[in-house]
Amino acid sequence: MLRILLGSQQTGLLLVILLLGAVLSVFAGYHVDRSTGELVNNFLNSRTLMQTATDASFFVIMAVGATMVIISGGIDLSVGSIYALSGVLTAMVLRSMAPDSPLSVVMLAVLVCLCLGLLCGLLNGVMVVGLRVHPFIVTLGTMWVFRGIAFVISEAESILVPQALTDVIKLSFGSDALYPMPMIIMLVITAAGAVYLSRTVMGRHIFAVGGNLEASRYAGLRIDRILVGVYVVSGLTASIAALVGSSYYGSASCADATGYELYVIASAVVGGASLRGGRGSAVNAMLGAMLIVLIRQSIRTLHLDQNYEWVVIGCAIIVAVVLDQVNRRLTARRLVEAG
Amino acid sequence: MDRNPAQPYIEFDRITKRFPGVTALDDVTFGIEAGTCHAVVGENGAGKSTLGRILTGIYDHDGGQIRIDGRPVQLIEPRDALDMGIGMVHQELVFCENLSVAENLCLGTLPARGGFVSDRSMEERARRMLEAVDADMDVGTSIGDLPVAQQQLVQIAAALGSGARVIVFDEPTSSLSHVEAKRLRENIRHLKSKGVTSIYISHDLDEIFRLCDVVTVLRDGRHVTTRPVAELDRATLINLMIGRTYEAYFPSHVDTESGGEMLAVDSLTSPGKFENVSFSVRSGEVLALAGLVGAGRTEVLQAVFGLDPNVTGHLRVAGRPVSIRHPIDAMRNGIGLVPEDRKRFGLVLTLRVDQNIGLPTLAHRSNFGWIRGKGEEDLADEYVKRLSVRPDDVRYNTAGLSGGNQQKVVLAKWLAARCPVLLIDEPTRGVDVGAKSEIHALIDQLAHEGTAIVLVSSELPEVLNLSTRIMVLRAGRVAGELSREDADQGTVMRMMAGV
Repeated sequence: MLRILLGSQQTGLLLVILLLGAVLSVFAGYHVDRSTGELVNNFLNSRTLMQTATDASFFVIMAVGATMVIISGGIDLSVGSIYALSGVLTAMVLRSMAPDSPLSVVMLAVLVCLCLGLLCGLLNGVMVVGLRVHPFIVTLGTMWVFRGIAFVISEAESILVPQALTDVIKLSFGSDALYPMPMIIMLVITAAGAVYLSRTVMGRHIFAVGGNLEASRYAGLRIDRILVGVYVVSGLTASIAALVGSSYYGSASCADATGYELYVIASAVVGGASLRGGRGSAVNAMLGAMLIVLIRQSIRTLHLDQNYEWVVIGCAIIVAVVLDQVNRRLTARRLVEAG
Repeated sequence: MDRNPAQPYIEFDRITKRFPGVTALDDVTFGIEAGTCHAVVGENGAGKSTLGRILTGIYDHDGGQIRIDGRPVQLIEPRDALDMGIGMVHQELVFCENLSVAENLCLGTLPARGGFVSDRSMEERARRMLEAVDADMDVGTSIGDLPVAQQQLVQIAAALGSGARVIVFDEPTSSLSHVEAKRLRENIRHLKSKGVTSIYISHDLDEIFRLCDVVTVLRDGRHVTTRPVAELDRATLINLMIGRTYEAYFPSHVDTESGGEMLAVDSLTSPGKFENVSFSVRSGEVLALAGLVGAGRTEVLQAVFGLDPNVTGHLRVAGRPVSIRHPIDAMRNGIGLVPEDRKRFGLVLTLRVDQNIGLPTLAHRSNFGWIRGKGEEDLADEYVKRLSVRPDDVRYNTAGLSGGNQQKVVLAKWLAARCPVLLIDEPTRGVDVGAKSEIHALIDQLAHEGTAIVLVSSELPEVLNLSTRIMVLRAGRVAGELSREDADQGTVMRMMAGV
């Protein structure tokens, strides 16, 4: 039973996250809340937990799309730049059109932002399929192109986002200064991604193409359409993250989400996605992102030298993937022995 | 068991090798004399390639002992075999295609001075190695640009250069033209004159009679006999390979009343692959495409299924002219292709059995893009039971199945698509005998149910037993057509080889 539990990646990741959370709670220490005078755990309090979840939410939303690309056997390095470009452009459109009612602000923002992400993803997908260039190269190129466009059109300035958007994303549902909207959106996107991957024809086709492109072709799948599709979804999730992020922080800039692509890919991979394609899961990518953010948070909470943040995260990623592979090899051996 | 005089150079003593679900070699014992050209023959799946791979350290064996010059040896890694002077020329060539001939030849021990590769001495050494096989080529060309025959020479030179006294050839002519094959035979004779021992794994009987001194026959992983080739004729050798008469082995296909024409192919041409191929299949008929490797059989099936963008010609399905440019067009017209090489083309090994079976028809069975609840498992379950796939759990991972069961899953996948026209390519390659006879029975049954079948197989017994008619392809052209009554192994063989 324990073997099955540890063998399942989901429970494995969840256990590690809970374990790390428990360790953090024990070693975090306490401080006195000024308003209530109560003793509060430095990690295990609603505000820190919510902040950690919010930090994770941007990665998670993007990681759901990136996971699909990775399952299909590709990679998308441009998600951070799509984030920046769609954030900046949406903010500029909102500024120039300046709709009156809060509702029209939100609707226009959603429409513009998602369309931009979709277009960027479409461009990636069409180039990957049409030019037959490796997706690493295509998205490496568009990573610079998209961010460059964002830089040029915004003239490197940070652009304010209408208050209406911030109001929506910072809905506190009555609780005091807690903003669960990013986390809620993260959970919704993850659930949608998980359902898409497991319950729809398109999702299954993504697994098939990533698992064996030739066999999928022989099974009559429209490979090109499927591949374009995953980059579109990836662009879409990047723009959703941009919408949530710029609304949350109240502004958009061309420097937003710099380096996020690597966090996002790392999240998917820590969540068990195989860069060779054919394997991956939206829920696990979420857990992977949460683990990475939690590790980052632990450095702050435990007052370790923050300069080591990248070293620790880098090591954690390698360790996580190696453990996953060892586990999988053991499972494969058990299968052979059983057969 | 035949007795070998004196002590052979290489001795296989009770060698056993098991793969999940299949015993590939079972208690195999025989010896190979130094300086001979020794053929290892058998039907597909008899274990001949496995034997070659064990001798060259690619596979480890589960039981028994290998002795070289009387001493037991451990051949765990290809390195170990090379140290014992055993090299291999593979069925698929193994090179770094981006590197030059010289670089490939010297890869293990690049001549270097202070960490810098010395191009001059490397090329010098490569030329010396190639002289040993009388090969005349520019050592600076990248190896990927050379024709396969030349690449084989480089492989032989590499083996000899690393001190090999024994070279294992695994189906070396399967990707060669006739001229190239002849050239290779000359090279092997030349090796023999230098005292090199060749072990020649093949199912091409002509080659064996032309080239080899001694032949070992394997059948279903067991050793049948080892005899001088001179003592044998073709018919005896075939009987030794098959063991029984075919009729006793596999139930013969009973001709059914064939119905109307289901698929007609008219002057199908794909430049460089095949030319002017025409045939038609009726409902309930099995048309076999026979031919040597490279005759264009697989390519014709691929073209009919819409996988060849360069093909010209006309197709009619059930009398209607159709245009097929993509597998989707083929499927829409009721044509399915059970491809050769199940791992490359047939299965997505990262998916489960039911997911593989459902793949081609998933979109049709969906509700607006949503996969229906249990539909997939139920569908798969039906076919897994019908084809007795083991284990019969549709949620099993395809990667864990044995070759025969994987092949059944590929068949199930296309049966589930309910295509009235099935193109079947090498359905029993690398599957064990039990699965093979089940697959034969299934093809037979499909024909009885009215499916029009085009079958490609390299095994003549299979062709002769399953087909209603046989069309022979030679070098991309139709060499002739035989009815089942007129066809026997000899006629078909002669037609295939063009003699």
